[in-house]
Amino acid sequence: MASALQQEGRSRARVFDTIAGIALTVGAIAFVMDIFVGRSGFDFGYVQGEIPGFFDATKLTFYATSLAYFGGMGIGFLVGWARAARSAPLARILHDRSALVDEEAPRWETRVDTGVAILFSGVKHTVRRIADGYVEIIRGTPLFVQIVFAWSVLIVNYPRLNQLELIAGIVALTVNTGAYQGEIFRAGLQTVHSGQVEAARAIGLSRWRAMRYVILPQALRLIIPPLTNEYIGLLKASSLLLVIGVQEITGYGRSEAFRTFKVFEAFAMVTGIYLLITIPLSKVVHAVEMRYRIPGLGIQAMGPQTHV
Amino acid sequence: MIRVERIHKHFGRLHVLRGITFDLPRGEALVIIGPSGSGKSTLLRCINLLVEPDEGKVIIDGVQVNRPDIRPEWARQQVGMVFQSFNLFTHLNALENVALGPIRVKGMAREAAEEKAKQLLARVGLAAKTQAFPAELSGGQQQRVAIARALAMDPKAILFDEPTSALDPEYIREVLDVMTALARDGMTMVVVTHEMGFASNVAQRILFMDAGMIIEEGRPEEIFGNPKHERTRAFVGKILR
Repeated sequence: MASALQQEGRSRARVFDTIAGIALTVGAIAFVMDIFVGRSGFDFGYVQGEIPGFFDATKLTFYATSLAYFGGMGIGFLVGWARAARSAPLARILHDRSALVDEEAPRWETRVDTGVAILFSGVKHTVRRIADGYVEIIRGTPLFVQIVFAWSVLIVNYPRLNQLELIAGIVALTVNTGAYQGEIFRAGLQTVHSGQVEAARAIGLSRWRAMRYVILPQALRLIIPPLTNEYIGLLKASSLLLVIGVQEITGYGRSEAFRTFKVFEAFAMVTGIYLLITIPLSKVVHAVEMRYRIPGLGIQAMGPQTHV
Repeated sequence: MIRVERIHKHFGRLHVLRGITFDLPRGEALVIIGPSGSGKSTLLRCINLLVEPDEGKVIIDGVQVNRPDIRPEWARQQVGMVFQSFNLFTHLNALENVALGPIRVKGMAREAAEEKAKQLLARVGLAAKTQAFPAELSGGQQQRVAIARALAMDPKAILFDEPTSALDPEYIREVLDVMTALARDGMTMVVVTHEMGFASNVAQRILFMDAGMIIEEGRPEEIFGNPKHERTRAFVGKILR
């Protein structure tokens, strides 16, 4: 009881610290910027007038980010699954291999005709190679290039496409986040100890049920925090869509800045909106982490992912 | 109860089991000893088909289980297993660990399964720990939960893979006591262990394995007191010090 209260007090203090920190930083920046905008002063009226425009731009950012994020999650789950299946614990579930040795034939394959088995194993390996290649290519190239690439391909082949920039942008973000989420899923699935799979199978659980009741519940606990962080990262990365002319937060802010010459005000708004989104979201991540903690075990942090 | 006939197992180029044959009557406790890498764990895993033998037969209660028309899951339900590193499901508490098999494999109702799990946990001396998660339990307690988990499937036999090797010395006794009580109650068991006290008191027979083969087989006093084979003598000399 006392410890719960203490914890709540501590978390309230943490929130206060965060807000105070941001306020101080903003104050410091405002003080410095006053040297530059001091003569004209900060135009609050302008900011107020820009709210509806920025509201639409923010909706567009959420729209593009969310679509790409959930599309990428589908890709990521499959890619992560394919890449994790090579490792021993998952291989035991997915292919029922009787041992860790890769050359060994899975038991169900030994039952069917050898020709079919070879064909099937070929397909399986091809799928894995493709998943590997996809992740390597996407993680090895700048998101900026991927966005311009997608846009260029679309504009050359479908110049009359409606909302071409937005489509190109969402496609690029989807393909990009799919690779990163694939790595998150792979890491999560591989982190579940092979002994867990063995114990699940030893009490007679089928492959699917072992996945459903033993592997996934443990993997998801590890995956949720980095997966939510991926959303935050992707939302920030979506600012790159301005280069192909999508009027999301950053693109809109830049247009307005140069249309009205209220450069400082416009970018102050851009910055403020991102912070209003990302700070509460990262608090949510932390809350989710605490909520699903396994008693007696900490949550292992997974490495940060970068986009650009 | 358990019969193994001429089992062979290869891992890649490694020939791990080279024709193992033994027969274990109902209610008997068999202890397997041997140096690491001799194939003891693989042999255990072949019995419940966690590892599929390349050749040979595994017969449980008169039924050959390593054949295509029998689901390995079915075979595994007949034989429980207890692991060296406990392998309790980390996201479930002790009660849920024990009840998972009855609920998800046997389709038992949750209330009945949990009632059964409570009784089994009481049987291994953990009536007070039903709500504890694995990470909150000592090694000895975890291993006793693991034994309850195996018992929950009403197995015809239980396989123990070095159940006390990962334990701190002060917890070994409590686990061995539970195992001894099981054996006294007539549970058929195969135990890979280096606990000589347990082997002498509980096992009817001891197998000494080396390099994938059974080198010598006999009653505990024969194996420990008067080993016939050179390799058995060397190994027993080492573990008895």
